[in-house]
Amino acid sequence: MKTLTILGVALALASFGCDSSSGGNGGAGSQAVTIQFAAKVGVDDFVCGATYDNLGANGNSLQLGDFRLYVQEVELKNADGDYVAVALTSDENPWQTGNATLLDFEDACNDAGTPEMNTVVTGTVPTGTYDGLRFKMGVPFELNHENPATADSPLNLTTMQWNWQGGYKFLRLDSGTFSMTDWRMHLGSTACDGDPVAGGTTICDNPNRTDAEFASFDPANDTVVADFASLVEGAELDVNQPETPFGCMAGPTDGDCAPIFDNLGLPFGGSEAGTQQFFSVE
Amino acid sequence: MKRTFYILSFLLLAAGCGDSDAASAPQEWVWDLPDTVPEPRIPEDNPMTVAKVELGRFLFFDTKLSANETQSCGSCHRQELAFTDGLALAEGSTGDILARSSMSIANAGYAASLTWANEAVVLLEKQALVPMFGEDPIELGMANMEDELIRRMRDDGDYPAMFAEAYPDQMDPISLDSITKAIAAFQRQVTSFGSKVDRWQQGDATALNESEQRGMALFFGGTNEAGVEDAFECFHCHGGFLFSQSSDDAGQVFNQKFFMNNGLYNLDEDGSYPAGNEGIYEMSGDPADKGRFKPPSLRNIEVTAPYMHDGSIETLEEVLDHYARGGRLIESGPNAGDGKDNPNKNTLLTGFAMTEQEKQDMLAFLHALTDEDLLTKPAYSDPFAE
Repeated sequence: MKTLTILGVALALASFGCDSSSGGNGGAGSQAVTIQFAAKVGVDDFVCGATYDNLGANGNSLQLGDFRLYVQEVELKNADGDYVAVALTSDENPWQTGNATLLDFEDACNDAGTPEMNTVVTGTVPTGTYDGLRFKMGVPFELNHENPATADSPLNLTTMQWNWQGGYKFLRLDSGTFSMTDWRMHLGSTACDGDPVAGGTTICDNPNRTDAEFASFDPANDTVVADFASLVEGAELDVNQPETPFGCMAGPTDGDCAPIFDNLGLPFGGSEAGTQQFFSVE
Repeated sequence: MKRTFYILSFLLLAAGCGDSDAASAPQEWVWDLPDTVPEPRIPEDNPMTVAKVELGRFLFFDTKLSANETQSCGSCHRQELAFTDGLALAEGSTGDILARSSMSIANAGYAASLTWANEAVVLLEKQALVPMFGEDPIELGMANMEDELIRRMRDDGDYPAMFAEAYPDQMDPISLDSITKAIAAFQRQVTSFGSKVDRWQQGDATALNESEQRGMALFFGGTNEAGVEDAFECFHCHGGFLFSQSSDDAGQVFNQKFFMNNGLYNLDEDGSYPAGNEGIYEMSGDPADKGRFKPPSLRNIEVTAPYMHDGSIETLEEVLDHYARGGRLIESGPNAGDGKDNPNKNTLLTGFAMTEQEKQDMLAFLHALTDEDLLTKPAYSDPFAE
């Protein structure tokens, strides 16, 4: 009797999983999971349009007006110590498609933004207990180089497109009034190669996808924090390499990017990849 | 039940579009190309049709495609200048000055890669997104205004019918994708193979005068008066049916993208170009890529002054002097340096002796690459210019 009940629940869960999630998890039961994200600037919560002080190497102040990023390949660590993929819930969810999610902490306080916000990754994992998390900041290569004009939401936002290299801005941070002398950061893959015969992008030498891994993470109680202050630690925000965009547009020749890439755990200009400090868990 | 409803509504919609002949098969595209030229490569998801090309012509020249409705694609790509703008550096709709000179769109459907220096952008459909939505610099300035763009199209008196005709299988044909595809289709058929040199190559022995023929011989490897074979070396970068090695077509099986350094600048021991405009180095970060740009097609070169990626040479005479010297010497100022010694310079550009007659012959040949029909052809013209 008991066995039957468990079987029935498992079947119900399995069929529910197939109906509502894009991934499905085979025959085993699955459970819904929500992973919380937050944007901060040091100890303060990010509020679109607010001004934050004492940033970077020179202690500058910036009024921040955009804070959006894509995450991909979100995985939770199960009781065996193995990472399993979170199958994203993308039906009726404009923030997720394939295995990519847009996290949007701005509320259209500047012209480039949208009023709607999203601070969660939602999906399903096989029934079990989980105590660790890993993900990448980015859009998977296959989705990154598809036609953005036909892409599903959230890959159809023109302000997140990165057309000069093909692909998307994995991270978008803007400050000030969006003039050419306001500090901005847009990060995406660079040194991409296209093939006119095949008709698309073949490889990007600098994928620029940050790896984040937290061996201890409780999905029910913990939050992943993206911290602007940690991102720009050591960067001179009031100094600009001549003839480059103010801030860092991820151009491989823009030396202003070097300390920021280091904080993202990404190699820059021949440097070794360090450990990312942009994301932490609270 | 549900299915029946869908079928029913589809029938109703189909009937709705069918009050003219719009439901019939779209008129197929027929290429009108000389037999010396291959057909361009057409992406499988964007077949050519007469209706789509015509829609693309309207979109290309429509200022509704810029945020402040002051510029269209055609503002920087003017037909009478072989779809360039006569400026050294292009200017965006909000006043941003771009780093580079507007390139001709004539034969852009054959380009192995698009724009002056970009390894990644190989499709016109994707290239269109750069001027529309780019923010650094701003060109048409439409970032975050995609809904407004669609609304402008829907509210227009003519576009809904034009989109329906161009995309007869789509229930809701006005979309960003259908806009970029139509513009790409229009650009693919803006071909230019009607110059005097084309007529010569098609067998008309009267098409070129003697001076033009002498210039052509020098261009294609002839011996100059100083007795050097292939002294001018032009065709190594500007060969093929485009007069650019960076070409592609429907039958091409190899990736022919091509970028090279032609010794315009040499700011330091790395061969730097002026910052912010250093060719594919800006994408790759590899110092060996400093100053590497795509050799543009020389078709219609007479009407596309000023020259080079930054419009820094005003006349074709000066371009020839630049190559004769084997690089440009800038004696003073922020860009001082001898491009002739640029470490990344293409090894073929060693310079050459050129008599005044040889120079005039080369100019005569380059002028014979002008296709007058391109500059005036109604099918390529601005439909809003009345």
